[in-house]
Amino acid sequence: MKTITFDQIKTSSIALEFDELNTDNIYTWTEDDFAKYTVPVGNSRFPITDYFKITVEGEADSPNEVKMIMNGDMGRVKYIGFRMSGGEVIINGNADLHVGAEMSGGYVLVNGNAQAHAGREMSGGKLEIMGNTKEFTGASYIGEWRGVTGGEIIIHGDAGKQCGECLTGGSIHVLGNCDILAGIHMTKGTIEIDGNVNRWPGGQMKNGNIIIHGKLGRLLEGFVEQGIVTDPEISGKVYAGKYIQYSGDIALNGKGGLYIDAENNRDKLSAYSEGNDEYITLGDY
Amino acid sequence: MEYILKNGIVYDPANGVNGEKKDIMFKDDKIVDSVSDNAKVIDVTDKIVMPAGVDIHAHIAGPKLVVGRLYRPEDSRRGVTQKTAHEKGESGFSIPSCPTTGYRYSRMGYGTVCEAAMPPLEAKHTHEEINTIPNIDVAPLPLFGNNWVVMEYAKENKIDELAAYVSAWLKLSKGYGIKIVNPCGTEAWGWGMNVHGYDDSAPYFDVTSRQVVRALTKVNEKLGLPHSIHIHPNDLGHPGNTGTTIETLGSVKDIAKSTLPSASLRDQVMHCTHLQFHSYTGTSWKNAGSGAPDVAKFINHNKYLTGDVGQVTFDETTTMTADGPMEYDLYKLSGLKWANKDVECETGSGIIPCIYSPKNPVNTLQWAVGLELFLLINDPWQLCLTTDSPNGGPFIRYPRVISWLMSNKRRMEMIENREVHKWAEKRTTLATLDREYDFNDIAIITRAAPAKIDGYTDRGALTPGFKADIAVYDIKPNEFDPSRNPKEVEKAFSRALYTIKDGQILVKNGEIVQTKPSHTIWTNVTGLEDQEAKVIEDIMPFFKQYYSVKWSNYKVHDHYVPNPIKIDVPVK
Repeated sequence: MKTITFDQIKTSSIALEFDELNTDNIYTWTEDDFAKYTVPVGNSRFPITDYFKITVEGEADSPNEVKMIMNGDMGRVKYIGFRMSGGEVIINGNADLHVGAEMSGGYVLVNGNAQAHAGREMSGGKLEIMGNTKEFTGASYIGEWRGVTGGEIIIHGDAGKQCGECLTGGSIHVLGNCDILAGIHMTKGTIEIDGNVNRWPGGQMKNGNIIIHGKLGRLLEGFVEQGIVTDPEISGKVYAGKYIQYSGDIALNGKGGLYIDAENNRDKLSAYSEGNDEYITLGDY
Repeated sequence: MEYILKNGIVYDPANGVNGEKKDIMFKDDKIVDSVSDNAKVIDVTDKIVMPAGVDIHAHIAGPKLVVGRLYRPEDSRRGVTQKTAHEKGESGFSIPSCPTTGYRYSRMGYGTVCEAAMPPLEAKHTHEEINTIPNIDVAPLPLFGNNWVVMEYAKENKIDELAAYVSAWLKLSKGYGIKIVNPCGTEAWGWGMNVHGYDDSAPYFDVTSRQVVRALTKVNEKLGLPHSIHIHPNDLGHPGNTGTTIETLGSVKDIAKSTLPSASLRDQVMHCTHLQFHSYTGTSWKNAGSGAPDVAKFINHNKYLTGDVGQVTFDETTTMTADGPMEYDLYKLSGLKWANKDVECETGSGIIPCIYSPKNPVNTLQWAVGLELFLLINDPWQLCLTTDSPNGGPFIRYPRVISWLMSNKRRMEMIENREVHKWAEKRTTLATLDREYDFNDIAIITRAAPAKIDGYTDRGALTPGFKADIAVYDIKPNEFDPSRNPKEVEKAFSRALYTIKDGQILVKNGEIVQTKPSHTIWTNVTGLEDQEAKVIEDIMPFFKQYYSVKWSNYKVHDHYVPNPIKIDVPVK
């Protein structure tokens, strides 16, 4: 096992780009190799040792045997864990854009917040963010129609707009709230949101499932109410409780599943009428 | 500066040189007969030497490229490279950035490209883009097929007035020749319709495609333009469009080629572009088949016709054309994001991404039809290699198409191993065609024929006095069997050993070592100045009423074309 520790010396107002420093590329590197390396900063390159004190301990024969520990505020370090296929990356601080983007294996942990495009187009591995994320978490690149195809993303805080856009596999679990258009264009996979959802989850989804445990703001017209289901089993996992099940988006002849917690979203029931919510109970439905 | 390319195996079809070992000499920007003893020697012993490539039909500059780049950021991120000492960073696959376009053509050994669709109203922007494309000369073709003035003149058969109008508009837009796209169809699309067939009229204009095409052909020959009309016929991409195509091809048979010296190089009176998209039989995609044998037979019997193929290359690409209704049809089929544009009084356009898959029966049919056309049209001088870039595939796939043409083994491998859908075998004759192109044929369809068809008198051959536009490829043709090594063929034609443009070495070992500004080739018809002034005066009320730009802002002023190659065409 090899441990590579990046202790931050100074931050940069222009972002450092770490796409070359994924575990696949650096598992054989020594401290001397790092000393020679220049990191892209804007349109220039500077010695990485200007920004980090790098310590290498142990040996590794493959990326799977590497543990990268980054201590400090990585709020201006982009592409951490980009395209990695194995190993571990622990970021003790915030992370900038594209953390864990296009990774195919391994584990990335952000003990802080992450900027937009976290876990973009992942195909495997696990990305865990202890804080919040911005837009396009677990999404596709802008304009692209294939997003995350595999792996697991866990956000312990809130997620920004268009989380899980074009999801074509894998799973995303947001423990906090989620902004608009979660799971837009998704065709496969699962998005679970523990908190509240602002508006329009699942727009133009063709397949896959979205489970919302909190309160949903507004639903798109393209979702057809299927009734209430109890303890549904979705992608091999049982979700205890009662959920209103929708299918959609019918605008695209979609067959996706949208499950929203029935207790928190009684106003969404078609039989609900304002001022009479005592009368319409879940049992009556 | 004098150079001598020593001991290369030269393919120069325009001069009848077919694989002869000889030296090619150039001084400054011209090819010469002899050089002094001080000439710098470049040893290319036994390597292929050809004139630099000429692309007769590609979409490389203009507003629709910009829309494509804007709405397909996912394409722009493909092919990204960092800047080097000689080139800016590259980006894009099917719609590369302007500098990238120049670099990639140079790497393939190309020197000249015809930008196939320039709306005169948006010519300024097209020229601005051309100015940012390095290393290649660009000849933009203004669109005339759905122009309101053209349609009015064509309806009334006012050929003299139309000739003056075309002459004036070539000057105004700094264009090279007459391009016609889905004549009357794009105008119909302005009303949510299309024309179906050659004798269908444009709504409210009461003029048919046949009238427009014949009128513009007569004008082209009357003016003696170096290039013939360059037509994208009606019904592109529709099953059963072979009939329309052949009708279009046959409709100008009685129009004699111009006797003016400016038109003397070419033999044709009509160049039909991306024939592949116009050669389908059937009534729907369910029963669609190949119309290539019929189209090829017609072209084989009529020397007044030339064409390019528009080969499909099985890539994720971006289709873009002034054929707006066709793009809408494609959108209905694929459901992918679609952009649509009306260019007031002149034309329209549409853009949509397209994923050509070898597993898809229709895409496979298109691929096979393209190859059938290559293999069934007997005279390579009547045919040019194109992919209608980026519509059938990006231009960087030309080397792959070359490898398919040179290797029957590879084609059969694709069919028999089911790399492509079984429709290739069941619905086309491709599996029965064993013709293989040789290097001379490749030199014809990628250099000599396009230069001749376009009417260039300074390129496409290694004639002394011509521009020193030369490509050297890292293949020893006398020791190499292209039929058995398609991958090596593709590799070699993708990365020229040397690309020389205007006597300057731009590419060495497949890498850009120098860049130079591009030239814009445009046609200046002289002798009709009075008629042009009269026509402009006549249409000015119309212009003021219907155009949203002022006349003074319409013209492409000279500073938009800082490096012109002006082809003077005197009309007596």
